[in-house]
Amino acid sequence: MPKEINVALAQISCKVGDKESNLKTMEQTISQAKEKGANLIIFPELALTGYVCKDLVYELAEPVPNGPSIRQIAKTAKRQNVHVIFGMIESSAKAEAVIHNTAVLVGPKGFIGKYQKMHLPTHSVFEEKRYFRPGYQTPVFETDTGKIGLIICYDIFFPEITRVMRLKGAQLITCISASPSIRRGFFEVLTAARAMENTVFVTYTNLVGIEDGLQFWGGSRVIAPNGNIIAQAKYDEEDVITAKINYSDMKKVEAFVPTLRDLRPELFSTLKEEAENL
Amino acid sequence: MLKLTKEALALDLSTAATRIKRFIKDYVEKTKAKGIVIGLSGGIDSSTAAALAALAIGGDKISALNMPEKENYNTTDIRHAKMVAKKFGFKLETIDLSLILKAYYKALPIYDEDDKLSRGNIKARTRMVCLYYYANHLGKIVCGSSDKSETMMGYFTKWGDVAADISPLMDVYKTQVRQLAAHIEIPKEIITKPPSPQLWPGQTAENELGVKYEVLDLILFGLENFMSPEEIAQSLELPVKLVQGIKDTWLTREHKRRLPLTIKLEYRTVGADFRLPYTRS
Repeated sequence: MPKEINVALAQISCKVGDKESNLKTMEQTISQAKEKGANLIIFPELALTGYVCKDLVYELAEPVPNGPSIRQIAKTAKRQNVHVIFGMIESSAKAEAVIHNTAVLVGPKGFIGKYQKMHLPTHSVFEEKRYFRPGYQTPVFETDTGKIGLIICYDIFFPEITRVMRLKGAQLITCISASPSIRRGFFEVLTAARAMENTVFVTYTNLVGIEDGLQFWGGSRVIAPNGNIIAQAKYDEEDVITAKINYSDMKKVEAFVPTLRDLRPELFSTLKEEAENL
Repeated sequence: MLKLTKEALALDLSTAATRIKRFIKDYVEKTKAKGIVIGLSGGIDSSTAAALAALAIGGDKISALNMPEKENYNTTDIRHAKMVAKKFGFKLETIDLSLILKAYYKALPIYDEDDKLSRGNIKARTRMVCLYYYANHLGKIVCGSSDKSETMMGYFTKWGDVAADISPLMDVYKTQVRQLAAHIEIPKEIITKPPSPQLWPGQTAENELGVKYEVLDLILFGLENFMSPEEIAQSLELPVKLVQGIKDTWLTREHKRRLPLTIKLEYRTVGADFRLPYTRS
């Protein structure tokens, strides 16, 4: 396991429905981030297609890991010797119209893993349940850039998922997002909270730009296990930030704020019972 | 319980202005339009929308139309429209609608001089026709200036003044438009004069709505935040009947804010099923 990595958060603006153009932007950004020394580069939620795709989702979806876009990003990751996380619309191998809002992780050796968004917002301007099937897995991937858990946007409102990934050994939780401006206050608090309550590194990579009048606020950030913001991208503008993550910093926070030591597992069964009877 | 005070409607004006300008510029660019056509009456909403559009994309890309007519000719409003155009650096053209309207009235077999609402609505729809002629001919889009208070109340002419390609003020209550107007330095006399849809002489919005905007906006804000009419009435020390009436108006006028009710015969129906992005790159 590496002690230290250089992470880059690629806060890009996407062209809705234009995978070719978005792939080009991603490849250029990977190149720039690599030049800055990054070995893990993270793009926002649905970076491959843009967020407000509506009914176009069915024609934009690709299977994972054998879709053409993943193969292209994987090739770039191999050429640049980096790891890349990005969001895309995934079509099921068994039923083409069953689709997921998915985060994909590829590395120099190709496809590593994926996470299918569990909590699909369907309120206000969001209509994800209309289109996507929720995920049921909380994987943690052991990579040359650390043990990584992937979550997507609204998932961060649900502390259970990050906690499960932390208990599976995640050192870094990467939240990729497409959050409009009205939600900024929530995410600024929740990203720090998830880091502190789990004594884990958290990255948050948000979109920028405007899609169907929705303005994404950017503000991507890397947060240390003690809640400190190590690096933060600009608000509302495209930006690529890099930061060093030193995993050995976790130990002292775990000792100083021993939330994992003090966990009370018996509460989890109560939590389950109460949630089922809400 | 949510406190319904004017502070509840305080806007971060700089952020709101920035977001509105970005919204306008983005849509003009994505649609590859050559600019914006906007009706400028000289009232607060159209003045604010036109000024923000000029600040967003440059005054040289704005075509503003002032459309007076004989029955409703108002020299103060015309002067105000000219002031705004000059201050924010865009061209203002005047189209006198009197002859067009006269032709309409003459051509309609059931025209009734005493039905001022139907006649007034012809005026709003005629303004829309002129705006879209300019937009089509010049390769521009129409920018509306309806605010949130009037839109929620359905206080507009269906397919008339609300018809537009973008509505940058539609999420801004009237009292918030006043804040925004002051922030971008719309002349004070425009901000403080009584708003009117200009459908007939002496018409003012507050008289017709039956309540001052300062009160209406707080009632609507309470409804937006899921408060019951009783809670709103208690908070604002108003009769429940008044608040309930405003709620009823809001709900019953939904047909004015939507595309026509569509029959469902097939799998995928326009309106009910098709959901597509406004723009695709």
